[in-house]
Amino acid sequence: CLACHPRGARLALARTDGAVEVYNFAANYFQEKVIPGHEARSVESLCWAAGDRLFGAGLGGDITEFDLSGLSAARGADGGGGPIWSMVANGTGSQLAIGCEDGSVKIFQVVPGGIQFERNLDRRKGRVLCLSWHPSDTHIAAGSIDFFRVIDVTSGQTVQRIMLNHHVEKAKRECVVWAIALLSGGTVVSADSFGRVQFWDWERATLAESHTVSTSAVLSLAVSEKEDSIVVGTSTGATYQLQLLPVRLGGQEKRWVRTKPFQFHSHDVRAVAHSPTALISGGLDAQLVIRPLMEKMQKKGYEAALRKFTFPHRRLVSCARKARLLLFQFSQYLELWRLGSTEETGKDGEVLPLCRMPEHLVQLKSKGPEHIYCSCVSPCGTWLGYSTASRFQLYRVRCDGDGVSLSKVPKVPKLLPPAYQLQFSADSDRLFVASARGSVHIFQLLEPGGCKHLHTLRPPSGCSEAVYLLAPSTDGHWLAAVSGDWAIHIYNLKCFKHHCVVPAYDCAVSALAIHPSTNNLVIAYSDQQLFEFSIPEKQYTSWSRALQSRGLPDDSTLLMNQSTLKQLPETARKRQLHAFKICKKFQPLLFMDLLDKNCLVVVERPIMDFKTQLPLPVQQKKFGT
Amino acid sequence: GALRVVRCGGSGQRGARAVFSADSKQVGRGYLLYASGDFVKVHSVNTEETLRLLCGHADLVTGIQLNPHNHMQLYSSSLDGTIKLWDFMDGIPIKTFTVGSKLLALYTLASAEDSVFVVIPKKGARDTFQLVSVQLTKGAGQDLEGKELSVVLDDVGASAKHIAFGREGAYVVSVKDVNLQVYFFKQKLWNGFSLSTVKTKGGDNRFSCVVCHPTEDCIATGHADGKIRLWRNFHHMKAYTYSTLHWHHDIVMDLAYSMEGTRLLSGGVEAVLVQWHNESSCQKDFLPRLGSPIDCISMSSDGVLCCTLHTDNRISIINSNLRFSRSIQGLIKSRDVKTGLVVDPRTKALVLNGEPGHLQFYSLQSDQQLFSLDIVQRQYIHQAGLKQSDLVKVAFSARGTWLATVEESEEVTDPELQLKLWFFSEETQSFMLNTRINTPHDNHITDMCFRDMDELGDDSIILVTTGRDCVFKVWVMVEDSDPEAHQSVSWSCDFVGSYRNYQATNCCFSEDGSLLAVSFEETVTVWDSLTWDLKCTFCHPPGNIRKICFGRLTCSKYLISATDYGFLCCWNLLTCALEWSAHLNVVVLQPDPLSEHIAAVSWLSKESSLFVFKPNEPRPVYIQRNLCKEKILLAAFVPRDEPETISSEKYLWLRKSQLFFLTDTQELMTLSTKSLEERLTPSSKQLAVEESLPVTPFSLLLGKHRRQQAQEDLDLGKPVVSNKQEQASPAVKELLHTPAHVLPSASFLCTIFINSLLISKENKSAEEVADEVEMESEKAEDDSDEEDVTAMEQEDTSHMELLGEMTCKLSKSQEKELRKIRKMDYSWISAF
Repeated sequence: CLACHPRGARLALARTDGAVEVYNFAANYFQEKVIPGHEARSVESLCWAAGDRLFGAGLGGDITEFDLSGLSAARGADGGGGPIWSMVANGTGSQLAIGCEDGSVKIFQVVPGGIQFERNLDRRKGRVLCLSWHPSDTHIAAGSIDFFRVIDVTSGQTVQRIMLNHHVEKAKRECVVWAIALLSGGTVVSADSFGRVQFWDWERATLAESHTVSTSAVLSLAVSEKEDSIVVGTSTGATYQLQLLPVRLGGQEKRWVRTKPFQFHSHDVRAVAHSPTALISGGLDAQLVIRPLMEKMQKKGYEAALRKFTFPHRRLVSCARKARLLLFQFSQYLELWRLGSTEETGKDGEVLPLCRMPEHLVQLKSKGPEHIYCSCVSPCGTWLGYSTASRFQLYRVRCDGDGVSLSKVPKVPKLLPPAYQLQFSADSDRLFVASARGSVHIFQLLEPGGCKHLHTLRPPSGCSEAVYLLAPSTDGHWLAAVSGDWAIHIYNLKCFKHHCVVPAYDCAVSALAIHPSTNNLVIAYSDQQLFEFSIPEKQYTSWSRALQSRGLPDDSTLLMNQSTLKQLPETARKRQLHAFKICKKFQPLLFMDLLDKNCLVVVERPIMDFKTQLPLPVQQKKFGT
Repeated sequence: GALRVVRCGGSGQRGARAVFSADSKQVGRGYLLYASGDFVKVHSVNTEETLRLLCGHADLVTGIQLNPHNHMQLYSSSLDGTIKLWDFMDGIPIKTFTVGSKLLALYTLASAEDSVFVVIPKKGARDTFQLVSVQLTKGAGQDLEGKELSVVLDDVGASAKHIAFGREGAYVVSVKDVNLQVYFFKQKLWNGFSLSTVKTKGGDNRFSCVVCHPTEDCIATGHADGKIRLWRNFHHMKAYTYSTLHWHHDIVMDLAYSMEGTRLLSGGVEAVLVQWHNESSCQKDFLPRLGSPIDCISMSSDGVLCCTLHTDNRISIINSNLRFSRSIQGLIKSRDVKTGLVVDPRTKALVLNGEPGHLQFYSLQSDQQLFSLDIVQRQYIHQAGLKQSDLVKVAFSARGTWLATVEESEEVTDPELQLKLWFFSEETQSFMLNTRINTPHDNHITDMCFRDMDELGDDSIILVTTGRDCVFKVWVMVEDSDPEAHQSVSWSCDFVGSYRNYQATNCCFSEDGSLLAVSFEETVTVWDSLTWDLKCTFCHPPGNIRKICFGRLTCSKYLISATDYGFLCCWNLLTCALEWSAHLNVVVLQPDPLSEHIAAVSWLSKESSLFVFKPNEPRPVYIQRNLCKEKILLAAFVPRDEPETISSEKYLWLRKSQLFFLTDTQELMTLSTKSLEERLTPSSKQLAVEESLPVTPFSLLLGKHRRQQAQEDLDLGKPVVSNKQEQASPAVKELLHTPAHVLPSASFLCTIFINSLLISKENKSAEEVADEVEMESEKAEDDSDEEDVTAMEQEDTSHMELLGEMTCKLSKSQEKELRKIRKMDYSWISAF
């Protein structure tokens, strides 16, 4: 996982499996877009250029542009210098510079519809691991092993070359410059594998300041826009902030001071970013951590809270309620499980004995190098569908006794682009496929294993973004669809017509569902707001309005759990009664669904489960252990 | 006059940082000043001696600071509510400012013209303190009022370490609990920051100390969990920031910045001084094994030296390259004096618990620790709640050849006991472990004593231990049968005695060693030390026996016991009857080894009283009520080197021995018949006078004047001999004060030295002649000097020889110049 690049209000993130994710700052750091990974793709570096275009470059040697509305890797161009270790865009976003394995730095011009090779800069031996443009685009600093150099862009010549391992006695070890930044004042900030962050005056080739922040390597570095703060990430999982502070209050003389250390990661911090209000870091432990800067926050609250993103903001589990099956989506395969059951009842807090153990029915591997976009199992448990970047597959599941057989549904209509979200109707005879440009395809499922394209729903006003959430009503009348521009369209399924649009709300929709009895659409937004929208009346319900005026209970509200309530006397209990039933015993939850009236299924994903799969962190001696 | 209680050691420094005099760079002129109890001690950095005692405060000294406008002056504050200005070079109080309320800390600022800052309790609020500035009025008299107070900060910490003044006095910082407040004097800006009170992961954010960077705007704070935070940008309520340094595992006791602020020193309970470079957590140096937790750190103003005050009253002086230089240690304060006060018969030093697991030998004469004997011989780990072994009992044989020690672990139920016997080795001049006995008793050992008679020789030495396991054991020396053993003797148990299964609490031998008294709860049993037969028992219920002792010399037929219920009983061993008894809550019962007198200290209604009596008369020889306010825990008679001449009949008991007390605050006190002025050690006074002046032309001039004065004295008819000695003394002084490595050979010096002591008639006349000739003409004087080929001449040259090593020899022309000057009248110089 690597590289975060904020520009404006978005953050792009690439993972080691080639997946690219886009987070939206304005929408509470909602994971807005996910481009699933690809076996053959590695993204070492990401950058935003020419407005909202996102480019990635990797060890494959290609520069790839990502189509953010179609959620796919769009065009590629060969870098021509072997594996690409780094790529940066200049201040205006019109040029990209790449650093290659062979030691060359190449400039590409960003043109509409792609990129164009412009020229080679001075090539020196040694792979170029990191690059940084001067804010005025005149120079590029390029970091390699044991040295970094500063290149004049107009002439293409190396104007300064500075060795880094000079001052260290243990110079036999090579000193890898993992990250570099060229500040507007002519200072080069280098972060190296000796754990040093050094400030150089490159014109005079002198070391201005050196901060040994860690005993292990400093892997990443990011400078704030104002150039008064730097964040660095180290291989011990610690991130440090360096600030440019006046030596004397009110004085002119300023100095870089290492200020706050943060230990949010257990493994290498491979990438850091510095947004105007937060420090962002991502590491080998698969976590994205956003640490808002308190001094930039107006008030304490949700805005100022520390965020750790470990799980995707998408549904990876689907449940067949009637058949009691769970489908888990992994990056390249699916797993189908049958839930266990119990016949006993017990008191609050008791763990009931199972009369049937949960059973792993089948594992379905997707073919090809592409990762799975989405998957779904029908409520009756007989249909199963998934989609990758190029293919959409539908299977018929047959359970006969203990054995389970899957048969591919033949002649599935070809969909291009493929599905971004799959949803079966409640009676399992229709399949809704969310597709690009705001469209939703409806398939009729036929026994004993076939399907037919029924209709395509499109928003009347047109839309360029893909649909990413679907919610059909239980009675099969309505379908709500959310596209990337956060507009919620409601379609009438009886006549396949657009019914209405939910009034625009300036935030991303994180979940939605239609109430089975009232047909009210309940929408959850990423800014922690909840709305209820009456579909027949095409307006927000009174409950929703009341909720908006009063707000959801926050942390300070005293909500007693059930057992405490039971112990209270009758009168007090009435006063303390509330609509919430709170259960705090679980670890991070990936999924929750209501199976029947008194049965709830939750999927728990303990962090330790995947921590154990990670490589060992850097050995550190900790006091007291 | 009346008997006075005098503190003679062990006074704590109580959180007031030490101060180096401003010119510690100059060799021979460095002073270290520190508060010690009610006094301020002036200590020479080079000679390691206490030069002067600034006394005058009536209560604890809480802060000392150099006068920023005159580095030869010192401000001191005390709980008695006064600020005193001293000339510490001469030990003279210059001014006393009475503030009124208790002063808990003192700060001075160069920018604040004639005011100082003190911490005082807030009126009308308990346990809240405020920082106020005190206007020091410029009156003529010595005693002045300092009542013009203006509050600078409210709600500050009571410790001096909780407030610091920033660069050039621009701001003041105060920390308390988890809150930090900064006040900028010029901008009149007040900022408060607070850390979270939640103790996560063993963290504890409470502040423990604060210092400010000398040149930059940076505040360093120490915390209870061992973190050091460096605050910057603290003029901004939001954009303030701090970085953290963390090495200490427990509370950071104090911090100090170097002169330029590039180095930061920190210390804590680990007894390790940590030096941080450039605020980097990766670059740090350590000075480990300083012996005991560091309480305060102070830097000299030139950054050459630093000193750490330790919680056990030790002071370490440390070089700038973090090399341990020397330590000043008096009576080491241990956590708990379990051994009691024991006098080492060999050195006459007081022996008691020192560092954990060590036995300290404290010289009363020099107020210094002679040496520290490691008894437990285990690494002491500073960690709360860890049960460690400590020394609990100590006994010396009569001539000091044998030392018995008992150590036990702190576990209450199942103590791990060890009895060790040490033999004083003449070759190494230290105690060597002879025998180690594991678990000598099954329960705590309550008392231990030697029987040792000079007449009977080494074989008579017997050790008796009493334990809570209801027995007493007799240990004797046996010849070691094992031929491979390094030593000829070892100790083993000879006899185990018990009485009705009562716990044995005390034991004591009679003066001649024939009888052993062992107390078993309420009963005193007397045993024959030859046959180990129970001779008789004494009982005077109610109450367990607390202390027992035999009478001495003429009173050796008496046995004294003190009980829990406040009875002091005297038994006659011949009649086996109670001679007399008195109602007295005796805490300490101490017989004088050289006389019949026994001192008993009682503790009643929060005051200690002293009773001295002879066992043969029930009437005390001496009573002093309200000896001191602190509870006296231990006492010891220390034999004097030579009996003191005591005029008053009343104090005759103090003739042969001196009585010392140790209070519960571990202050050592003694009784003195002399007044305070008399008691001040003459050696320090001497040193104060004989600041040997370097030889400069000016000093030669002064020398001439002194000689003239001497001449005048001579004319006035003073004895010639004394005059001559005064003349000769500079030569001897020079001889003694010149470093050994620059001195010429001893054979060369011998004649000079002898000659300087001689009172030669011829010499004296020569001197007179010289002086007379001097009046007449330069030429003549030269002649007369040259003509004298006697001792005087030699002395002069030798004088030159000696000084020549240090100063350059005066050239001929300079000499002539000087002589010319000498002719002029410099009598005005003698005016001062």
